[in-house]
Amino acid sequence: MEATEIQEKVVKILTPYVKDQDALATVSGETNILEDLKVNSARLVDVVLAFEDAFDIEIADEDVDEVNTVGDCVRLIGAKV
Amino acid sequence: MATALQPSDRRALLTQLWISRALSPLWIPLFTGIMLFVMRWKLVGADRVREEYARLRRESDAPVLVCANHLTMFDSFAISWALGDMGTYLRHFGWLPWNTPEEVNFASTWWKRALVYLLKCVPVKRGSDRAEVAKTLEKVAELLRRGESVLIFPEGGRSRSGRVDTEAATYGVGRLVSQVPGCRVFCVYLRGRDQETWADTPARGDAFDVYSVSLEPKSDHKGLRGSVEISKQVVGCLADMEKRHFDDRQ
Repeated sequence: MEATEIQEKVVKILTPYVKDQDALATVSGETNILEDLKVNSARLVDVVLAFEDAFDIEIADEDVDEVNTVGDCVRLIGAKV
Repeated sequence: MATALQPSDRRALLTQLWISRALSPLWIPLFTGIMLFVMRWKLVGADRVREEYARLRRESDAPVLVCANHLTMFDSFAISWALGDMGTYLRHFGWLPWNTPEEVNFASTWWKRALVYLLKCVPVKRGSDRAEVAKTLEKVAELLRRGESVLIFPEGGRSRSGRVDTEAATYGVGRLVSQVPGCRVFCVYLRGRDQETWADTPARGDAFDVYSVSLEPKSDHKGLRGSVEISKQVVGCLADMEKRHFDDRQ
């Protein structure tokens, strides 16, 4: 699966959790999920579980520690699909 | 990749434990006195909770993760007091649980940092960088692996609804239980009779009803999903105790 395709799906999954919807217009690999998109940190786990379902992968506890940006999500998922 | 603690981090935790223990004959009576005589707080049902917690601590050296509901900034004081009295902690300092206070509330100035250091605390910065959160969780896991008791609030913060928020279950509790073999979970529900909703400080003269349940949370899932499921079981246990509390008082 191409990185751009993964990123599109990642952004789609993130969208319902994003508090700053305007930030979605300029989203890139460097966009920080908590700081730029204002996703609640407690909900980040729900986002990652949604990645598991959408991409049919299993994500370890420790993998979540590496997730700060949209690009981190794409790399994490890309390594598992 | 797991965030491994450096040897210096482990030494720092042991040093903190040593200093806290050395000064405990001063600060344990002081804080017990403040709760008893200044705040005039009372505990209702603590005998049963203390008996159960003491049994848990006596029966093995395995770690105990105390999971509690969270309504005020002083819950950790009241919960520690509900788990054991002053004499118990002076005799068995290891039974006094480590706490995980929010850094913004309790470690924002040098004197607060000194205080939380003394009071067996590992401050948590809510919503911080994932690696930083992971390092804090690893410190807590390290303490548990050493057989310590740690008090944690699975809701991740004070419940804004005033009731146990089952939707707010963070995965940290499940992650700790999964990562630390033999870790036992002791759920505690504590609520002041004047405590309608969340607040900074419980009312002076308030009486706290306290209940406990020993829990063995399990999940067939691995990884993050398993940790989330375990966390939800723990928060569900707290919600059940809350329901019984309000049912009994009606």
